[in-house]
Amino acid sequence: MSMNRILVLMIALFIIEGAIMPWIIPASLGSRIIPHFVFVAVIFSALYSDRHRALMLGVSFGFLQDVIYFGHLLGPHSFVMGLIGYFTGVLLEKRRATLLMAVSVIGFACILYDSVIFFIYRVFRITGETYAWALLNHILPSLFLQLAFALACYVPARRLFEAHSKTSPDKDEQ
Amino acid sequence: MRNKRMFMLMIGFILFIAVIGFSLSDRKEMSWPEKFLRDTAAYVQQWFYKPAGYIAGFFEDIANLRTVYEENEQLRLTAAAYSRDKIKYNFIEKENIRLQEELDFTEAQKKMYDYTYLIAQVVSVSNDANNRALTINLGSNNGIKPNMAVTTVDGLIGLISSVTPFTATVTPITELNEESPTFNSIAATILGREDESFGILSSYSKETERLTMTKIAETDKMAVADTVITSGLGNVYPRGLVIGTVESMQVGDFGLTYTASVKLAASFDHLTEVFVVKVPEMEEASQ
Repeated sequence: MSMNRILVLMIALFIIEGAIMPWIIPASLGSRIIPHFVFVAVIFSALYSDRHRALMLGVSFGFLQDVIYFGHLLGPHSFVMGLIGYFTGVLLEKRRATLLMAVSVIGFACILYDSVIFFIYRVFRITGETYAWALLNHILPSLFLQLAFALACYVPARRLFEAHSKTSPDKDEQ
Repeated sequence: MRNKRMFMLMIGFILFIAVIGFSLSDRKEMSWPEKFLRDTAAYVQQWFYKPAGYIAGFFEDIANLRTVYEENEQLRLTAAAYSRDKIKYNFIEKENIRLQEELDFTEAQKKMYDYTYLIAQVVSVSNDANNRALTINLGSNNGIKPNMAVTTVDGLIGLISSVTPFTATVTPITELNEESPTFNSIAATILGREDESFGILSSYSKETERLTMTKIAETDKMAVADTVITSGLGNVYPRGLVIGTVESMQVGDFGLTYTASVKLAASFDHLTEVFVVKVPEMEEASQ
């Protein structure tokens, strides 16, 4: 039951990202601040639930994004979101992260996510910009939006994912 | 355990490369799961995008109240100029039709520039900095096809890249890139000197926010502040769509041609309504 609730909330986040956030972000910053709320939710699930759930959520929502906003490539979001979610889980799943810890992990993960996506597009020659420019143009400005979002929903997200992992204790320990 | 993880990672990586290779190949149409997912998502997203737009638009209107007076003055001037030009246009159009009759134009030739503008609502904007695709709520059921031009009232914003039955994806003109395997170049000319000037819009630099127009002839009389429009040569893209203004001109790479940097006329933020330009079907057999 709780898993259904997580899925519904994440689909809602996905829709907000594409349909409502473009209106909330000021017109002049439209191409610089880019929301990645679903990715933040995946990292939350890696921190407070378990790594396999993070991998599953990351791959499926990344794939949803790849298909729905297909422009050049199919697959990068799915791959990168799943991978970062999984390895955050491998590193930090056993410790109960504090607020400061969670926010800094999310910050690093966001920078990593945007950078890897940028380099994938760069390798396939879809963008020709330099990394330094991309970092200042959109990776760092959108980091602040992601951090604000992570702070705002830290308490409900933690409660949601922890409640879920308590109801199904340690079934992934093989 | 560790080996298993490594193994899964490798399989995932191979799968990822395979999927990317598949999507880079020249696909004519999307598979049905893709179409279904997109149509469903767009159906839900359109309930949110438009109301959010109305609310945001209301606050923007309040902020813009002060400039309304000046804008009104300008519009009145434009309206006066328009009514003068309209009379002139009617005469010229009649003359043109008469001449076409006399020269025995075929039906296809007469209808060649008879574009239809389909109005579409934007449904969502991609949240990927390298792929700012827009989704609009018209699809192949409404006669939309890939490579149609999409404009706003200000100017060209992009081209349709893929269609599903109820939605279409617009690749913005800011993704224009010579080296990219997924995008074409657009032929352009200058407003007022349509048969003298010519250039090819080849790539957009996000760093300077300007479009590069290449292959301009040395003898071309193009000047700074000229309005750049699509030329329609090749009959893929319609002619006469405003793109932007020339901002500077330089000698090109080999010194034989010129390049110009073009500032876009349209803005990509807070888009609601866009127009898809439908070019009449050309029947090759009739010519």
